[in-house]
Amino acid sequence: MVGLSIGEQHFVKGGIAQDLRTDGRKRLTYRPIYVETGVIPQANGSARVKIGGTDVIASVKAEIGRPSSLQPDKGKVAVFIDCSPTAEPTFGGRGGEELSSELALALQRCLLGGKSGAGAGINLSSLLIKEGKVCWDLYIDGLVISSDGNLLDALGAAIKAALTNTAIPKVNVSAEVADDEQPEIDISDEEYLQFDTSSVPVIVTLTKVGTHYIVDATAEEESQMSSAVSISVNRVGHICGLTKRGGSGLDPSVILDMISVAKHVTETLMSKLDSEISAAEACEDES
Amino acid sequence: MSAKPGATTPTYSPKVVGRSRLPIFKDSDLDWSRPDGRGFPQCRPALLQTAAVSSASGSAYAEFGNTKVIVSVFGPRESKKAMTYSDVGRLNCNVSYTTFASPTLGQGTDHKEYSSMLHKALEGVIMMETFPKTTVDVFALVLESGGSDLSVVISCASLALADAGIMMYDLITAVSVSCIGKNLMIDPVTEEEGCEDGSFMMTCMPSRYEVTQLTVTGEWTTPNINEAMQLCLDACSKLGEIMRDCLKQAASASDE
Repeated sequence: MVGLSIGEQHFVKGGIAQDLRTDGRKRLTYRPIYVETGVIPQANGSARVKIGGTDVIASVKAEIGRPSSLQPDKGKVAVFIDCSPTAEPTFGGRGGEELSSELALALQRCLLGGKSGAGAGINLSSLLIKEGKVCWDLYIDGLVISSDGNLLDALGAAIKAALTNTAIPKVNVSAEVADDEQPEIDISDEEYLQFDTSSVPVIVTLTKVGTHYIVDATAEEESQMSSAVSISVNRVGHICGLTKRGGSGLDPSVILDMISVAKHVTETLMSKLDSEISAAEACEDES
Repeated sequence: MSAKPGATTPTYSPKVVGRSRLPIFKDSDLDWSRPDGRGFPQCRPALLQTAAVSSASGSAYAEFGNTKVIVSVFGPRESKKAMTYSDVGRLNCNVSYTTFASPTLGQGTDHKEYSSMLHKALEGVIMMETFPKTTVDVFALVLESGGSDLSVVISCASLALADAGIMMYDLITAVSVSCIGKNLMIDPVTEEEGCEDGSFMMTCMPSRYEVTQLTVTGEWTTPNINEAMQLCLDACSKLGEIMRDCLKQAASASDE
């Protein structure tokens, strides 16, 4: 946790008010984003994203499982986040649990959409192998290695990159069996299916400091925030998820304004991220 | 939970909370009829009672249609010895479901994070500096889950905190809106929540007109979000008035 003196606090807040932050950025500018895919060979898909000093790794593993009885025509996705003690000593043991569960909940909300599946970044029906019997279970794990603010955006970008990198083996249901038995399945080693990530949204966190909002706050700036709203917007411009964090109250008009600012910022962020991810994938294919 | 002798029966009147007419709801759009026959912008009638649990510092019981919740508040009481010194108070929240709360045995998977969401909703409104070194415990028990559980829990918890005399900036009320197709419906029941395309839950301080917590899932266009926000703010202010009436009744009943 950063400890800022009164002078430093005024410096941070005053800079934001004048559209000149401590590292020279404008209020709505992101730090340079660096994406690397395929960092974990044993996982079905993985990616590492660095935004300034924040460094996160996301990995996707797919395992054969049974669909839940409430939704027999859909696969399952579980998101877990782990904040490593290397990022902050307070994360050791049970310290990072609250933050991890908050981040996991926000990410799950953005990726899975409403109960009926509308607005989901991942199409759960595409994970189905045999209705009611066999489906893919996706385990998405995020690891925070270094924390310098804006963890949610970095994790969202890492998960998007990891899903682009994910290859799920093709499965053939080999034998037709009676209704109450498990069918035999044959997992191919050769053929893989790439994930369709065109509808995975990006997450933009707007942090309110004083009367202005900034995008991509560093840990210093986050310590001065009154509240933060994380908005996830998909390619079409619809809101896929919104979480307000921070205790202070916000006027409703401020929230609506934040939504329009987030949509504007998402356009640039989405195109930047797409180009970085495809560059990373191209790099990985060459090596 | 019976009414105190001599007090008037608490309000179980079907108050129509929310706007009576909204421009986006034309008859041609009505392809979903609500199971309990309400209109889309109509909330369920709210029954609120304080002092439901006599052994707690403060408590409240809320019944919104089939959703029945009881919240008790203990404190401020001594923090556990293992906790470090803190010159602001601490808040500890726990939301649990009874095993008979829902038709299927056992809890659903989304109920685990209700405790932390309740904590986030309350921490912005309680004046923690008024009870340093101590902890306030808020325990919510959902007796029957009939939809919009978290919203009812938050509103009931705020009423219980007021009953316990914990200092707060304002009462908080929570309302949720469900989106099914093109239709926005306020205060959804379990069947509507099960097939919704998106959910919008807002917690606000009605007198200060500020939003303290907002959670949106599913796909929403900006006009829908605007409309849902207006619906929620309107319903929250009306629910705030009902909560105030309930507290005033309780106060006048104890004066007698």
